[in-house]
Amino acid sequence: MINEYLLLSATLFTIGLIGFIIRRDLIVMLMCLEIMFNAVNISFASFSYYNGNYTGQVFVLFSIAVAAAEAAVGLAIVLALVRITGINHSDEITGLRG
Amino acid sequence: MNQIAVDQAFFIYFYISLSLLSIAVIASRNIIHSVFFLLIFLLHVAAVFLFLNAEFLMVIQIIVYVGGVLALFVFAIMIMNLKEELKHRKFVKFAGAGIFSGLLFFTVFYGYIRNIKLSPEKPLLSDVNVLSSILYSYYLLPFEILSLVLLVALIGGIIIAKKDPKEDK
Repeated sequence: MINEYLLLSATLFTIGLIGFIIRRDLIVMLMCLEIMFNAVNISFASFSYYNGNYTGQVFVLFSIAVAAAEAAVGLAIVLALVRITGINHSDEITGLRG
Repeated sequence: MNQIAVDQAFFIYFYISLSLLSIAVIASRNIIHSVFFLLIFLLHVAAVFLFLNAEFLMVIQIIVYVGGVLALFVFAIMIMNLKEELKHRKFVKFAGAGIFSGLLFFTVFYGYIRNIKLSPEKPLLSDVNVLSSILYSYYLLPFEILSLVLLVALIGGIIIAKKDPKEDK
Protein backbone atom coordinates (compact mmCIF):
# COMPACT_ATOMS: atom_id res chain seq x y z
CA MET A 1 0.00 0.00 0.00
CA ILE A 2 2.91 2.34 0.60
CA ASN A 3 3.90 1.83 -3.03
CA GLU A 4 0.75 3.62 -4.12
CA TYR A 5 1.45 6.67 -2.00
CA LEU A 6 5.08 6.76 -3.15
CA LEU A 7 3.91 6.43 -6.75
CA LEU A 8 1.54 9.37 -6.21
CA SER A 9 4.38 11.36 -4.70
CA ALA A 10 6.74 10.52 -7.56
CA THR A 11 4.11 11.44 -10.16
CA LEU A 12 3.40 14.82 -8.61
CA PHE A 13 7.11 15.55 -8.17
CA THR A 14 7.76 14.68 -11.81
CA ILE A 15 4.96 16.94 -13.02
CA GLY A 16 6.27 19.78 -10.85
CA LEU A 17 9.80 19.22 -12.15
CA ILE A 18 8.67 19.26 -15.78
CA GLY A 19 6.68 22.42 -15.16
CA PHE A 20 9.62 24.07 -13.45
CA ILE A 21 11.83 23.31 -16.44
CA ILE A 22 9.51 24.19 -19.29
CA ARG A 23 7.58 27.22 -17.99
CA ARG A 24 9.13 30.66 -18.36
CA ASP A 25 6.91 32.61 -16.02
CA LEU A 26 8.54 33.19 -12.65
CA ILE A 27 5.32 32.94 -10.62
CA VAL A 28 4.35 29.67 -12.29
CA MET A 29 7.84 28.39 -11.50
CA LEU A 30 7.20 29.19 -7.83
CA MET A 31 3.88 27.33 -8.06
CA CYS A 32 5.72 24.31 -9.44
CA LEU A 33 7.99 24.50 -6.40
CA GLU A 34 4.88 24.33 -4.22
CA ILE A 35 3.71 21.23 -6.12
CA MET A 36 7.07 19.56 -5.50
CA PHE A 37 6.95 20.48 -1.80
CA ASN A 38 3.53 18.89 -1.53
CA ALA A 39 4.70 15.72 -3.26
CA VAL A 40 7.54 15.34 -0.77
CA ASN A 41 5.15 16.03 2.11
CA ILE A 42 2.88 13.19 0.97
CA SER A 43 5.90 10.90 0.90
CA PHE A 44 6.93 11.94 4.43
CA ALA A 45 3.42 11.44 5.79
CA SER A 46 3.07 8.01 4.19
CA PHE A 47 6.37 6.85 5.67
CA SER A 48 5.23 8.19 9.02
CA TYR A 49 2.00 6.22 8.76
CA TYR A 50 3.53 2.94 7.65
CA ASN A 51 6.37 3.03 10.17
CA GLY A 52 4.12 3.92 13.10
CA ASN A 53 6.31 6.91 13.94
CA TYR A 54 5.37 10.55 14.40
CA THR A 55 8.70 12.01 13.28
CA GLY A 56 7.58 12.19 9.66
CA GLN A 57 4.63 14.38 10.59
CA VAL A 58 6.94 16.71 12.53
CA PHE A 59 9.10 17.00 9.43
CA VAL A 60 6.08 17.77 7.27
CA LEU A 61 5.26 20.57 9.71
CA PHE A 62 8.79 21.98 9.34
CA SER A 63 8.62 21.58 5.58
CA ILE A 64 5.34 23.51 5.38
CA ALA A 65 6.81 26.37 7.42
CA VAL A 66 9.94 26.52 5.27
CA ALA A 67 7.74 26.46 2.14
CA ALA A 68 5.78 29.44 3.44
CA ALA A 69 9.01 31.36 4.09
CA GLU A 70 10.31 30.41 0.65
CA ALA A 71 7.13 31.60 -1.05
CA ALA A 72 7.25 34.94 0.78
CA VAL A 73 10.88 35.66 -0.10
CA GLY A 74 10.55 34.34 -3.66
CA LEU A 75 7.48 36.45 -4.40
CA ALA A 76 9.22 39.49 -2.92
CA ILE A 77 12.18 38.93 -5.24
CA VAL A 78 9.88 38.52 -8.27
CA LEU A 79 7.97 41.66 -7.26
CA ALA A 80 11.16 43.70 -6.97
CA LEU A 81 12.38 42.34 -10.31
CA VAL A 82 9.13 43.22 -12.09
CA ARG A 83 9.11 46.66 -10.49
CA ILE A 84 12.69 47.46 -11.53
CA THR A 85 12.94 45.84 -14.95
CA GLY A 86 9.35 45.10 -15.97
CA ILE A 87 10.01 41.50 -17.05
CA ASN A 88 8.77 38.35 -15.45
CA HIS A 89 10.11 35.68 -17.78
CA SER A 90 13.17 33.80 -16.74
CA ASP A 91 14.72 33.75 -20.22
CA GLU A 92 14.59 37.53 -20.56
CA ILE A 93 16.60 38.21 -17.44
CA THR A 94 20.06 38.77 -18.80
CA GLY A 95 21.59 41.54 -16.70
CA LEU A 96 23.04 41.12 -13.26
CA ARG A 97 22.70 44.78 -12.33
CA GLY A 98 19.32 46.47 -12.18
CA MET B 1 -13.37 -6.15 2.31
CA ASN B 2 -15.89 -3.47 1.50
CA GLN B 3 -13.87 -0.92 3.47
CA ILE B 4 -10.73 -1.73 1.45
CA ALA B 5 -12.64 -1.38 -1.82
CA VAL B 6 -13.95 2.04 -0.79
CA ASP B 7 -10.44 3.12 0.22
CA GLN B 8 -9.08 1.95 -3.13
CA ALA B 9 -11.76 3.84 -5.04
CA PHE B 10 -11.07 7.05 -3.15
CA PHE B 11 -7.33 6.66 -3.60
CA ILE B 12 -7.71 6.18 -7.35
CA TYR B 13 -9.92 9.26 -7.50
CA PHE B 14 -7.33 11.32 -5.65
CA TYR B 15 -4.47 9.99 -7.75
CA ILE B 16 -6.19 10.90 -11.02
CA SER B 17 -7.48 14.27 -9.86
CA LEU B 18 -4.16 15.32 -8.29
CA SER B 19 -2.30 14.43 -11.48
CA LEU B 20 -4.79 16.27 -13.68
CA LEU B 21 -4.82 19.32 -11.42
CA SER B 22 -1.05 19.61 -11.31
CA ILE B 23 -0.91 19.27 -15.09
CA ALA B 24 -3.57 21.99 -15.31
CA VAL B 25 -1.46 24.25 -13.07
CA ILE B 26 1.54 24.03 -15.36
CA ALA B 27 -0.42 24.01 -18.63
CA SER B 28 -2.90 26.87 -18.30
CA ARG B 29 -1.98 30.10 -20.00
CA ASN B 30 -3.92 32.41 -17.74
CA ILE B 31 -2.00 32.72 -14.52
CA ILE B 32 -5.03 33.28 -12.31
CA HIS B 33 -6.43 29.97 -13.58
CA SER B 34 -3.19 28.34 -12.44
CA VAL B 35 -3.71 29.78 -8.99
CA PHE B 36 -7.23 28.39 -8.74
CA PHE B 37 -6.12 24.96 -9.95
CA LEU B 38 -3.40 25.12 -7.31
CA LEU B 39 -6.07 25.91 -4.70
CA ILE B 40 -8.02 22.74 -5.55
CA PHE B 41 -4.76 20.79 -5.70
CA LEU B 42 -3.79 21.86 -2.17
CA LEU B 43 -7.23 20.93 -0.82
CA HIS B 44 -6.87 17.47 -2.38
CA VAL B 45 -3.44 17.08 -0.78
CA ALA B 46 -5.07 17.91 2.56
CA ALA B 47 -7.53 15.08 1.93
CA VAL B 48 -4.64 12.71 1.23
CA PHE B 49 -3.17 13.69 4.62
CA LEU B 50 -6.51 12.70 6.13
CA PHE B 51 -6.09 9.24 4.60
CA LEU B 52 -2.74 8.91 6.35
CA ASN B 53 -4.23 9.64 9.81
CA ALA B 54 -2.62 13.05 9.98
CA GLU B 55 -5.51 15.31 10.88
CA PHE B 56 -3.28 18.00 12.35
CA LEU B 57 -1.32 18.18 9.11
CA MET B 58 -4.56 18.52 7.17
CA VAL B 59 -5.59 21.52 9.23
CA ILE B 60 -2.12 23.06 8.97
CA GLN B 61 -2.09 22.48 5.22
CA ILE B 62 -5.40 24.28 4.78
CA ILE B 63 -4.49 27.16 7.11
CA VAL B 64 -0.93 27.77 5.91
CA TYR B 65 -1.13 26.94 2.21
CA VAL B 66 -4.65 27.88 1.26
CA GLY B 67 -4.92 30.76 3.72
CA GLY B 68 -1.37 32.08 3.54
CA VAL B 69 0.72 31.08 0.55
CA LEU B 70 -2.08 31.12 -2.00
CA ALA B 71 -3.35 34.51 -0.82
CA LEU B 72 0.23 35.73 -1.20
CA PHE B 73 0.30 34.45 -4.80
CA VAL B 74 -3.00 36.14 -5.62
CA PHE B 75 -1.84 39.43 -4.09
CA ALA B 76 1.46 39.30 -5.98
CA ILE B 77 -0.35 38.67 -9.27
CA MET B 78 -2.77 41.51 -8.62
CA ILE B 79 0.02 43.93 -7.66
CA MET B 80 2.08 43.07 -10.74
CA ASN B 81 -0.98 43.25 -12.98
CA LEU B 82 0.22 40.54 -15.31
CA LYS B 83 -1.58 40.16 -18.58
CA GLU B 84 1.05 39.57 -21.21
CA GLU B 85 1.25 35.83 -20.59
CA LEU B 86 -1.96 35.46 -22.55
CA LYS B 87 -0.39 36.74 -25.72
CA HIS B 88 3.14 35.55 -25.04
CA ARG B 89 3.55 33.10 -27.86
CA LYS B 90 6.31 30.86 -26.55
CA PHE B 91 5.16 30.32 -23.03
CA VAL B 92 6.97 27.02 -22.89
CA LYS B 93 10.57 26.48 -23.84
CA PHE B 94 12.80 23.43 -23.69
CA ALA B 95 9.67 21.27 -23.66
CA GLY B 96 11.44 18.22 -25.04
CA ALA B 97 14.35 18.48 -22.63
CA GLY B 98 12.02 19.06 -19.70
CA ILE B 99 9.79 16.09 -20.45
CA PHE B 100 12.81 13.88 -21.11
CA SER B 101 14.49 14.73 -17.81
CA GLY B 102 11.20 14.39 -15.95
CA LEU B 103 10.56 10.94 -17.38
CA LEU B 104 14.15 9.94 -16.63
CA PHE B 105 13.69 11.01 -13.02
CA PHE B 106 10.38 9.16 -12.78
CA THR B 107 11.85 5.98 -14.22
CA VAL B 108 14.79 5.95 -11.81
CA PHE B 109 12.54 6.76 -8.86
CA TYR B 110 10.03 4.08 -9.84
CA GLY B 111 12.83 1.53 -9.98
CA TYR B 112 13.59 2.31 -6.36
CA ILE B 113 10.08 2.39 -4.95
CA ARG B 114 8.77 -0.67 -6.78
CA ASN B 115 10.17 -3.18 -4.32
CA ILE B 116 9.51 -1.41 -1.04
CA LYS B 117 7.55 -3.60 1.34
CA LEU B 118 6.20 -1.87 4.40
CA SER B 119 2.97 -2.82 6.06
CA PRO B 120 1.77 -1.18 9.26
CA GLU B 121 2.31 -3.56 12.16
CA LYS B 122 0.42 -1.22 14.41
CA PRO B 123 -1.39 1.49 12.46
CA LEU B 124 -0.51 5.03 13.40
CA LEU B 125 -3.26 6.53 15.48
CA SER B 126 -4.11 10.14 14.87
CA ASP B 127 -3.15 11.55 18.23
CA VAL B 128 -2.30 15.22 18.41
CA ASN B 129 -1.15 14.86 22.03
CA VAL B 130 1.72 12.56 21.07
CA LEU B 131 2.66 14.79 18.14
CA SER B 132 2.75 17.88 20.33
CA SER B 133 4.77 16.17 23.05
CA ILE B 134 7.36 15.09 20.46
CA LEU B 135 7.39 18.53 18.87
CA TYR B 136 7.89 20.39 22.13
CA SER B 137 10.41 18.02 23.74
CA TYR B 138 12.68 16.27 21.27
CA TYR B 139 12.31 18.75 18.40
CA LEU B 140 12.22 21.87 20.52
CA LEU B 141 15.44 23.38 19.16
CA PRO B 142 14.47 22.94 15.45
CA PHE B 143 11.09 24.40 16.32
CA GLU B 144 12.70 27.52 17.78
CA ILE B 145 15.08 27.81 14.82
CA LEU B 146 12.04 27.58 12.58
CA SER B 147 10.49 30.60 14.27
CA LEU B 148 13.73 32.47 13.57
CA VAL B 149 13.57 31.40 9.91
CA LEU B 150 10.03 32.74 9.64
CA LEU B 151 11.06 36.02 11.25
CA VAL B 152 13.98 36.40 8.83
CA ALA B 153 11.68 35.62 5.88
CA LEU B 154 9.18 38.23 7.10
CA ILE B 155 11.77 41.00 7.46
CA GLY B 156 13.56 40.00 4.25
CA GLY B 157 10.34 39.95 2.27
CA ILE B 158 9.40 43.43 3.45
CA ILE B 159 12.85 44.86 2.74
CA ILE B 160 13.16 43.28 -0.71
CA ALA B 161 9.66 44.16 -1.87
CA LYS B 162 9.40 47.71 -0.55
CA LYS B 163 9.69 50.64 -2.90
CA ASP B 164 12.96 52.44 -3.11
CA PRO B 165 12.19 55.96 -1.75
CA LYS B 166 14.68 57.52 -4.17
CA GLU B 167 12.67 56.29 -7.16
CA ASP B 168 9.66 58.39 -6.34
CA LYS B 169 11.39 61.70 -6.90
